[in-house]
Amino acid sequence: MLEENKLISDDNIARSKDLLACLERGDENGAREVLDELTRIRETELYQEMGKLTRELHDSITAFGKDDKLINLAQAEIPDARSRLRHVIKMTDDAANRTLTAVEESLPICDSVTTNSSNLHEKWRRFVQRDMNVQEFRELSLLIDQFLEGNTGQVKELRSKLNEILMAQDFQDLTSQIIKRVIGLVEDVETNLVNLVKLAGGHIKVDFEKTKDDHSIEATGPAVPGVDTESNLVSGQDEVDDLLSSLGF
Amino acid sequence: MKILVVDDFSTMRRIIKNLLNDLGFMNIVEADDGNTAIPILKKGGIDFLVTDWNMPGMTGIELLREVRADDKLSGLPVMMVTAEQKREQIVEAAEAGVNGYIVKPFTAITLKEKMGKIFERVG
Repeated sequence: MLEENKLISDDNIARSKDLLACLERGDENGAREVLDELTRIRETELYQEMGKLTRELHDSITAFGKDDKLINLAQAEIPDARSRLRHVIKMTDDAANRTLTAVEESLPICDSVTTNSSNLHEKWRRFVQRDMNVQEFRELSLLIDQFLEGNTGQVKELRSKLNEILMAQDFQDLTSQIIKRVIGLVEDVETNLVNLVKLAGGHIKVDFEKTKDDHSIEATGPAVPGVDTESNLVSGQDEVDDLLSSLGF
Repeated sequence: MKILVVDDFSTMRRIIKNLLNDLGFMNIVEADDGNTAIPILKKGGIDFLVTDWNMPGMTGIELLREVRADDKLSGLPVMMVTAEQKREQIVEAAEAGVNGYIVKPFTAITLKEKMGKIFERVG
C-alpha cells in the first residue's frame, strides 16, 4: 500500500479534526463535505487495489496461455511419450521372442545329444563286458565316429543359440533409457499441473517452468522409429562407419 | 590385455563382457560411469577402454576427454558402444579422439570387427 493510502496520516488526522469541529459547531454542510472527501479517498484506494488484482490475474492467465512448455507437453510430448512406450513394448516383445525361439531351438539339440550319449553308453558297457560280436563292434565304431562328428556341430549350434540369448538382453539397457526419458516428461507434466492448481487456487504468483535450453548434443538415448525422425540421425552401424571414414577414420 | 567396460546398465556390461570373453579377452574390469572409471584407469594396467555415452555422473564423452587430457592415459584406445546416434555426436566423439564407435543394438560380429580394426591401427 502506498504512503498516501495509509489510514493514519497527518492529512486524515486533520480531516477528522475538521469533521469533529464542524459537528460541534453544528455546521452540517461542512461536516458533509469532509465526510464526502474521506469517502472519495477510500473509494480511490479500493479501485487501485481492484485494478492491481485484475492486472495480476490478467498477467497470470496470459503467461499461462503463452507458456510454450505446457502447450508443447499437451500437443507434442505426450503423444511422443506414447509412441516411445509402445516402442518399449515392441522391444521387450522382440527380446522375449528371440530368447524363447533360441531356447526352443536349443532343447531338441540337448535331447539329441542325451539320446545319442545314452545309446552309445549302453553299447560301450556291453563292449567293456565283452558281450559284443565283431559285427556289433563295427557298428559301435561307426556310431562313435558319427557321435563325435555330430557333437562338434551340435555344440557349436548350441553355443550360437546361447549367444543369441545373451544379445537379446540388450533390450534392458535400451528400453530403460527410453523409459527414463518418459519419466522426465511425467515430472514436467506434474510441475505444470501443480502450477495450474496454484493458479486456480488463487496463489497468483506462479513460476512456469522455463523451457530448457536446447543442447544440440545432449544425450537422448536410443532413437525410436516413427518418433525420432530428424535427418541428423544415422540409421545404423553402416552409416556410422561411412561418417567416420569420411572423417578420416 | 586388460579391458575396462564402462556402462551404467549391468546387463549391458555383462553382454559386452561375455562377447569379449568369446573373442578371447578374459581380463575384464567394470565401472558404471566415468567417475568410477577414472580411478581404475589412473591406477594403471588398463589396455583398452569400452564406454557407453549416456550415463549419470560422468558421461562417456567426458570420460573420453579426461582420458585424452591425461598424459599417462592419452594413448589408450577407446571404443564407444552407445545408443546415441546423432551425426553431431559421432563427429564430436571423433573430434574428441575416439578410436571406434558402435551403435546399439549391435552384433557380436560388429564388436569383433571394430576391435580388430582398432588393434590394427594402434598396433
